Amino acid sequence: MKALALEFRSVTKTYSRSHLGRTTLSRGIVDLGWEVPEGESCGLLGLNGSGKTTTFKLALGLLRPTSGEVRILGRSPADAVALAEVGFLPELPYFYPFLTPREALRFYGRLSGLHEDALADRIARTLDLVGLSEHGSRRMGEFSKGMVQRVGLAQAVLHDPRLIVLDEPVSGLDPLAIKEFRELLGELRGRGKTLVVSSHSISELEKVCDRVGILKEGRLVRSIAHQEWEAASEGLEGLFVETVR
Amino acid sequence: MRNIAILALTGWQENLRRRFYLLSLAFAGVFLYLSLILGVLAVEQENRVLLDFGLGFIELMGLAGALYGATTIVLREMETKTVYLVLTRPVGRGEYILGRFLGLMLSVLASMALMSAFHLCILWAKGWRGPEPYAAAFLGAYLKVLVTAALTTFLAIFSSSALTAGVISGVAWTLGHFLPEIRYLITHGASRVSIVPLFALSYIVPDLQLFNLRDRLAATSPLAASEAGLAWWVGYAVLYTAVWLALAWGLLRRKEF
Repeated sequence: MKALALEFRSVTKTYSRSHLGRTTLSRGIVDLGWEVPEGESCGLLGLNGSGKTTTFKLALGLLRPTSGEVRILGRSPADAVALAEVGFLPELPYFYPFLTPREALRFYGRLSGLHEDALADRIARTLDLVGLSEHGSRRMGEFSKGMVQRVGLAQAVLHDPRLIVLDEPVSGLDPLAIKEFRELLGELRGRGKTLVVSSHSISELEKVCDRVGILKEGRLVRSIAHQEWEAASEGLEGLFVETVR
Repeated sequence: MRNIAILALTGWQENLRRRFYLLSLAFAGVFLYLSLILGVLAVEQENRVLLDFGLGFIELMGLAGALYGATTIVLREMETKTVYLVLTRPVGRGEYILGRFLGLMLSVLASMALMSAFHLCILWAKGWRGPEPYAAAFLGAYLKVLVTAALTTFLAIFSSSALTAGVISGVAWTLGHFLPEIRYLITHGASRVSIVPLFALSYIVPDLQLFNLRDRLAATSPLAASEAGLAWWVGYAVLYTAVWLALAWGLLRRKEF
């Protein structure tokens, strides 16, 4: 049995907001039980507000569960050892506009524990991987959205993490950029990385993932393996629509 | 420690490239020019006016830069999600807040030092060769900015509002110059209703008069800038800064993003 890269054990996250003495509770996710084995590529699909981003933030320690437990590479999300092995691309990443990709990657690489002697070479190879070698010395304030997204992926994979979490990685990209991104993700899968991807693009998840979980109103209502949607007449889209309606 | 240094140096690098600090230098240049005009109007006290006016505006410009930076360190990074890319790495939240704060204060120090260099050039050109402890006066101004920025950092995280944090910090900076008067009111004549808030204020607000070395520039006593005095001022500033940063860290530890 494979080791688990990500594990949610009966996790519930409830948001609490207080205003003028009144407290409003809203659900993020409810009683989530979800496992992602190492080496697998797993997708998370759901309508807006279904809890995808909440799930990722819980996995990375940006949120704390109201109840239940989250484990990442067998450890707590607050554990520095675990975080050193994780790469994260948030939705619509933002970088300090006055930095160049090389400077930004050097910054994030050092924070991930990479040392100077390995860093220059690693940065060069990563920029090459994401197709930004020629733009490594330009300030990111001048970059297009697609270029920023590539830098986002670069910082997520620079330190060769075991687990890569990608929240809407192709959001806002043109079709050519989407294809190149998909090829990059394929290459990472080929290297044995664990990928966890959320997207509104069902076709992208079909091409990249081994398995897809469907969130509906904060609950994981279905988990579909690659073979299942391949066999379905309307593919993953048909199964998704049938599940969420 | 390594993460703190990385965050501090990157913050300094980022701030040095921001136009705000260039504008602050230009703005300071304008006011130093104005101080020249005032110095001429002061006739026999020209150098004294140049000294006081210049140091005062350097402090104000340093304070403006520090307040702007301190109110936006965490808030802007939360809004733009830049903080996600840092806190999802093996970086403690205490390291994050201390590193960003140090980067800001390094930038402010560089900015104030440049303005002071310009100021000293003007003074030297005007024939100022006085024994007054300019370095101690500069240190005092910087320490005032440092303690105010630490309070601002806490307020920004507490209130999640740059405007609120900036306004309260401005009020605290003002009240900090009247702490002797506040203490006098506590011991002489404050009503029972006002004594508790005044007492709380006397501890919360930094004692900025302690660092007002410009007032001591004309003093003939060597104790004005003695080593013992300097150690006390620096120690107080470090302790005050540490307390507010520790409180800011406490808030950040519990914060969700």
